[in-house]
Amino acid sequence: MTAAGQPTSVMDQLRQMLVQVTGREELADIPADTALFSAGVGLDSLAGTLLLRRVQRRYGVDVAAEDLNLDSLESLGTLAAFIAART
Amino acid sequence: MIKCVVWDIDNTLLDGVFLESAADSPRPDAELVAAARELSGRGILQALASRNPPAAADYVREVTGLDFAATECGWGSKVAAIERIAAELAIGTDALAFVDDDMLERAEVAAALPDVLVLTPEDAAEAADWPQFSPEVITAEARQRGQMYAARRRRQAEAMTFGGSRAEFLRHAGTRITIGPATVADVPRLHELSVRTHQLNSAGEPLSEAELTGLVSSAGHLVVVVTLADNYGDDGLVGAAIMERNGAGPWFVPVVMMSCRALGRGALDALLAWLCRCAADAGGNQLHVPCLVTERNVPMRLALAAAGLRAEPAAVAPDGRAVFTRSLTGQLPVLPAFVTDRQ
Repeated sequence: MTAAGQPTSVMDQLRQMLVQVTGREELADIPADTALFSAGVGLDSLAGTLLLRRVQRRYGVDVAAEDLNLDSLESLGTLAAFIAART
Repeated sequence: MIKCVVWDIDNTLLDGVFLESAADSPRPDAELVAAARELSGRGILQALASRNPPAAADYVREVTGLDFAATECGWGSKVAAIERIAAELAIGTDALAFVDDDMLERAEVAAALPDVLVLTPEDAAEAADWPQFSPEVITAEARQRGQMYAARRRRQAEAMTFGGSRAEFLRHAGTRITIGPATVADVPRLHELSVRTHQLNSAGEPLSEAELTGLVSSAGHLVVVVTLADNYGDDGLVGAAIMERNGAGPWFVPVVMMSCRALGRGALDALLAWLCRCAADAGGNQLHVPCLVTERNVPMRLALAAAGLRAEPAAVAPDGRAVFTRSLTGQLPVLPAFVTDRQ
């Protein structure tokens, strides 16, 4: 896989996870920079926790342990970059 | 303290083996059903884990009249079933008991999940006398806990097929949240919350009834309570916070705690927004929320982050406590329309 291909594929996997934890198919193609906690996605602390658990199982990255303020959950793009820097 | 008992069905809650044709199925085991009912009355949840088709759970519910907070019927391992129940109810495995007549099932669970209290049916019949099953205080919320979880199952089933955003679902479900100052009558429930909440507790330490009574009557403190209800059920008093009044300075919030039943239902976000607005209205310039950073209270940190609070990573205390802060000038978190003042 190319260096440019890696983040795209993580992004797609994260979109799938977001759909799974929210039950909302319409999030399957949200832009990478959409704010997760804003009105658009409206991620709550339950769905956010489930998303982080999936990330940990899939990539072995424990976001909650490494990111005190959980700023990496600002958008799927920031989350993908956080994972990419650690895998 | 045990929060949930996971029951096997065959030769445990039923006096025999479940058969697909309900007409031939055995009667419930009267002694164990009475024990389960007694524990429910103390606020301890009941759940089913059985190697049976899902119809077995419906049959057991019908013949015992018990409310089950979670049911796992299938052909997979009991260990996996218990892990799913723990995840679904947001309860640690150290707060689960498992009752099974089969020695091998008990051994497998005990080996894979050493935190789970594994019991024979004979043990379970006497469990009501054990300290692990005897909470100090039994509140109205505790007695209704089984029904509330049954309501939660219906709510979750509808939420998964609803489609819209979480905020839209909360409105669709008729969510009603009230927030306001606590009274002395709330003290037993506040104590219970301080003991029982882990995932949504910023302080990580229980408060005694005497301490809470002192705080409720203290002029320097504001103890705030949150109630939650919707069209599926009334969860009663689900959360609270303690805030220290501090004039025009930073307002300090030593405790924020919320029942995990309220997770995903807007109550914690509403409480944090309310605290910001209350402190800002009284002239406070900042909100400071110390929070023990643990593996288990990630949802609390997510809610703090969503409410605009941030901590300095370099300033995490050796005990794992970090102070999350935000300014109270400028735009404050929005209080949804379904939040009203507690009467």
